Amino acid sequence: MSQIVGKVIALIGTLFLAHSAYSTYEHLNYLKAVEQSETVLPVEIAVECLLSAFVALFGVIISAQPFKNVLLESQMASMTIDKFDTRPSFIGFNHRKIVSTQGQLERRLR
Amino acid sequence: MPRFDYTAAIEELQTFRTTNERRSEYVASLGARLIRDKYITKLQDQVWPLYEQITIAALDVNDFDLAKHCLDQLQVRFGDGSLRLQRLKGMFLEAQGKLDEAQKIYDNILEKDATHLLVSKRQIVLLKERNKPEEAIEAMTQYLDTYYDDHEGWIELCNMYLDQHYYEQAAFCCEELIILQPANHIWYLKYAEIVYTLGNLTLAMKHYCKVLELCTDNVRALYGLQLCASKLSSTDHAGDLHALATERLLAIYSKQPEHIRQLVQQYLGK
Repeated sequence: MSQIVGKVIALIGTLFLAHSAYSTYEHLNYLKAVEQSETVLPVEIAVECLLSAFVALFGVIISAQPFKNVLLESQMASMTIDKFDTRPSFIGFNHRKIVSTQGQLERRLR
Repeated sequence: MPRFDYTAAIEELQTFRTTNERRSEYVASLGARLIRDKYITKLQDQVWPLYEQITIAALDVNDFDLAKHCLDQLQVRFGDGSLRLQRLKGMFLEAQGKLDEAQKIYDNILEKDATHLLVSKRQIVLLKERNKPEEAIEAMTQYLDTYYDDHEGWIELCNMYLDQHYYEQAAFCCEELIILQPANHIWYLKYAEIVYTLGNLTLAMKHYCKVLELCTDNVRALYGLQLCASKLSSTDHAGDLHALATERLLAIYSKQPEHIRQLVQQYLGK
């Protein structure tokens, strides 16, 4: 649930960030048209940029997956003997090969 | 079944490829289902290891039609130059019982590439399939002389020795495995059980404790510890360890239904 909310918030933040970038571009165009040169960016654009960056950051942090345990132990504890003792390269086919009819039906190719 | 069935199936098959589990009936039936419903044509490049996996599973359940179908697809894509495909064809012949022809294919591959590990392993399996365990063990030892860090080889040798009841040599193989993968509790468990069979109870107890250190509340190790400690009641820590094992077992089984709990309590003598 928090993932969806987080992703929505991150999306809104990114959109506003893009909007502030576009308004900077428009502002510079306006300055060229009016032939003034201003070295300081208007405060609204700067505020919008910073705020949208923080909102996007917040959204990404909320939507992150839960952390996995850094110790290998917790993963090892879930490994069963079946997963280690199989030796797949040494697989031998001279066993009983009991085949069930249901298995055969499930495996038909057409 | 909705589409969700297929993506979940592919992911499951991929998990099996990483964990190396041997669930051939399940894998073969999933694979046949993917082929039958033509979902397999929608995958791009990840279809080739999938075909390999389905082929081996099909050979394990004696389904040669499915295996032939997959091999044909692989042949069309990779042709005769691929050694991996040659090995699969060798396995196909092995499963049909034509061991000499399989041997010829493997010799061929080893001529072209003398370091092909997987095919050297198949040669050893051929000796096992011809019911020549002693020669298989000898071949395996030679193989491990060259590639001593191949943990799969050591597990295989350990199991071969256990089949022939050479417990001390099997214990040696387990020691090598412990050196290679010191964080894996399974090898300590195997070593403890072999050493217990040989009668060396103090060593077995030490290793059961090590398993519990690596994997807390491992039930098999707890049972082993309880057994060893009850037989070694004379040594120092045995009493404490026995009490610990009994307490932990009762705690773990307290969440199980009544009749199981009663069995455990009866066994533990409480």
